[in-house]
Amino acid sequence: MNRRKAIGGIFGLAGVGFVSVIGAKYFIGNSSHNIEKLEAHLDLIAEIVDVIIPPTMSPGAKESFVHHYIVNYMEDCATRKEYNNFINGINDLQETSVNTFDSVFEQCSTIQKKQLLENLEANSTYSGILLKLNNKLRGRSFFNILKTLTIEGYCTSSKGATKHLAYLPVPGRYDAVTELNVNQKAWATK
Amino acid sequence: MKNNTQENTFDAIVVGSGISGGWAAKELTEGGLKTLVLERGRNVEHIKDYTTASKNPWDFKHRSHLTNKELKERPIQNGHCDAGNKHFFVKDSEHPYIQVKPYKWIRGYQVGGRSLTWGRQSYRFSQMDFEANKTDGYGVDWPIRYEDLAKWYDYVEDYVGISGSLESLAHLPDGVFLPPIPMNAIELHLKEKVRKLYSDRVIINGRVANLTTPKKGRGPCQYRNLCSRGCPFSAYFSSNSSTLLDAHNTGNLNMRVNSIVKEVIYDDLQKKAIGVVIIDAISKEEISYYAKVIFLNASTIATTAILLNSKSPSFPDGLGNSSGQLGHNLMDHTVNEGTYGTYDGLKDKYYIGKSPGTIYIPRFQNLNNKTKQSGFIRGYGIQGKGERENWQSKVTTGIGVSLKKQLATPGEWIISLGGRGETLPNYENKITLDYQKLDTWGLPLVKVDFEYGPNELAMLEHMTKSSEEILVKAGFKNVRSYRTRPAPGSAVHEMGTARMGKDPKTSVLNRYNQMHDVKNVFITDGSCMTSSGSQNPSLTYMALTARACSYAINQINSNEL
Repeated sequence: MNRRKAIGGIFGLAGVGFVSVIGAKYFIGNSSHNIEKLEAHLDLIAEIVDVIIPPTMSPGAKESFVHHYIVNYMEDCATRKEYNNFINGINDLQETSVNTFDSVFEQCSTIQKKQLLENLEANSTYSGILLKLNNKLRGRSFFNILKTLTIEGYCTSSKGATKHLAYLPVPGRYDAVTELNVNQKAWATK
Repeated sequence: MKNNTQENTFDAIVVGSGISGGWAAKELTEGGLKTLVLERGRNVEHIKDYTTASKNPWDFKHRSHLTNKELKERPIQNGHCDAGNKHFFVKDSEHPYIQVKPYKWIRGYQVGGRSLTWGRQSYRFSQMDFEANKTDGYGVDWPIRYEDLAKWYDYVEDYVGISGSLESLAHLPDGVFLPPIPMNAIELHLKEKVRKLYSDRVIINGRVANLTTPKKGRGPCQYRNLCSRGCPFSAYFSSNSSTLLDAHNTGNLNMRVNSIVKEVIYDDLQKKAIGVVIIDAISKEEISYYAKVIFLNASTIATTAILLNSKSPSFPDGLGNSSGQLGHNLMDHTVNEGTYGTYDGLKDKYYIGKSPGTIYIPRFQNLNNKTKQSGFIRGYGIQGKGERENWQSKVTTGIGVSLKKQLATPGEWIISLGGRGETLPNYENKITLDYQKLDTWGLPLVKVDFEYGPNELAMLEHMTKSSEEILVKAGFKNVRSYRTRPAPGSAVHEMGTARMGKDPKTSVLNRYNQMHDVKNVFITDGSCMTSSGSQNPSLTYMALTARACSYAINQINSNEL
């Protein structure tokens, strides 16, 4: 994730070049899209996000409705480029799944699912200038969008924020320096 | 035009209900004047209309993001708002203006204006700032000095509630403060490092209008750091939470919303302003209101636009514009996008609660011979904030259980720093009106023509370098700065266009914010500023407003106005 965007608007009247609050806009775009609707893939996306953030002692991404958030985001907020990348990425993933394991993603074993996504990550990981260039030319990669939105969707979901992270909507006080306890969870919001 | 003179006549009219208009309303009504406040936007009732204030992240369908439709409606505002506070920012599509060169004009058209979303940073100007123009010859000399404003700073700080620390710095005078918002572990660490490394600069607690202790039924701060949605605990200062409520309680306040002021009416025979013409934003009906005294607090660019549109035989180029300075000398603070660094240490420290404050490095350049700069005159301060990374900024690897664990673990300490520098007054930086292009209400569009000069650009470069140097020397890692092209307006500190000055030939307002040419018109928003200083300016507008109101009330009571 991009630190610069995430540092947040801390200095001014919702001010300045800093983007305000929760990591704000990852990308800006405004063209509409008319190709296939993402909603048809809702169940598939639910399975995918649950591999990225699986249920453990705390709920996973599927139980936290992260797939709904991703579809909402892609339909209403994404740029055309990224929407297209996402749809193509979903289709490619499904194709790879069938070619590799002779099974649609949803019916793959947990290990197979994880392997498919890890391969995707390995193949889409640019860094530094190459990443910037790629993002600029083609829009962020399918995996990049998928992981970023899964993390955001999960950590801002009711279950993710309150069960997996520490969420305190009204702290009521500011203890500026505290001792970090063993296994103390990170705050869900800044 | 409706001209029900008697019913439409007041002692005073205040145009605008933002941070300075709210103060004018309070002071004038408490001084016994029947006051009409005209607000061009909708009503925002304190607490009741803070519709997002208590929402959780998951209550927003798109979390903090604006949708493509919302972005399209807000091509300029969108960098300054999100899903949680967008309703306090205008839609650019409904309120267009013309940028001769890129200039962000960030606006909030509603009761309370931008006092709902301001950064709350509150610093006094110093004697050095009031003498700056005289010292180096840019602009005209301020007609006042620090001692003229000191007691008014005391007065407004005591009412507003500013948290801060006493530091005894001549170039950043102390004030009437509530206890400061404390620094966290990394901020304290950097403060100590800077103390050891530098003799010319210090890190202090940012001075913010957040109540660390309760004040007159307001606050204290609950440390949610969601201020710009409006505070259900009344714990930061806004017109809505404070001045307008007290003005209302006097029984002397009349508020008319959806009232766009078209012009100030000047009577050539009486040689004074007699009222204003408004356009009802919804019905588009024109209505006149009359008063003995008029305060313009519509915000820097908007106030001057009203004056430029107020033409009469005596003032064919805009009301009170015999100097030809009206619209000129627009300023905004120069801001760089910021520098950050991570710190490998203090892993056993954390915090509870979310601070709405910052740390601050007051100006440390051109204070004396020792700190004199070769590249630029005047100076800048640096605001900063330290925190431990969470999922929002952490760099994560992989997927699955290991990723999940990374998300729940507090990350590295990170400090971000951002400079705010003085902009020199320059006649060429200006606003005008374009009568070829009209808005929905038939009013000419504002045309903003502004760019940074060599001094501002040199300062921008310097603030980035010195921010990096501070963090590197203090042992931070991954020190990086984000540089984008300068974006004037993005500090949301627009100032000037109707400056104060001693000489009516070269300035618009006198030492009491009274128009040289039209004695019963006062301007106490950012338009009045003769120079910009490097400090966040709202506190100075508030002090100037209280002072000007006191003067106006005395003048009325002694029949001078």
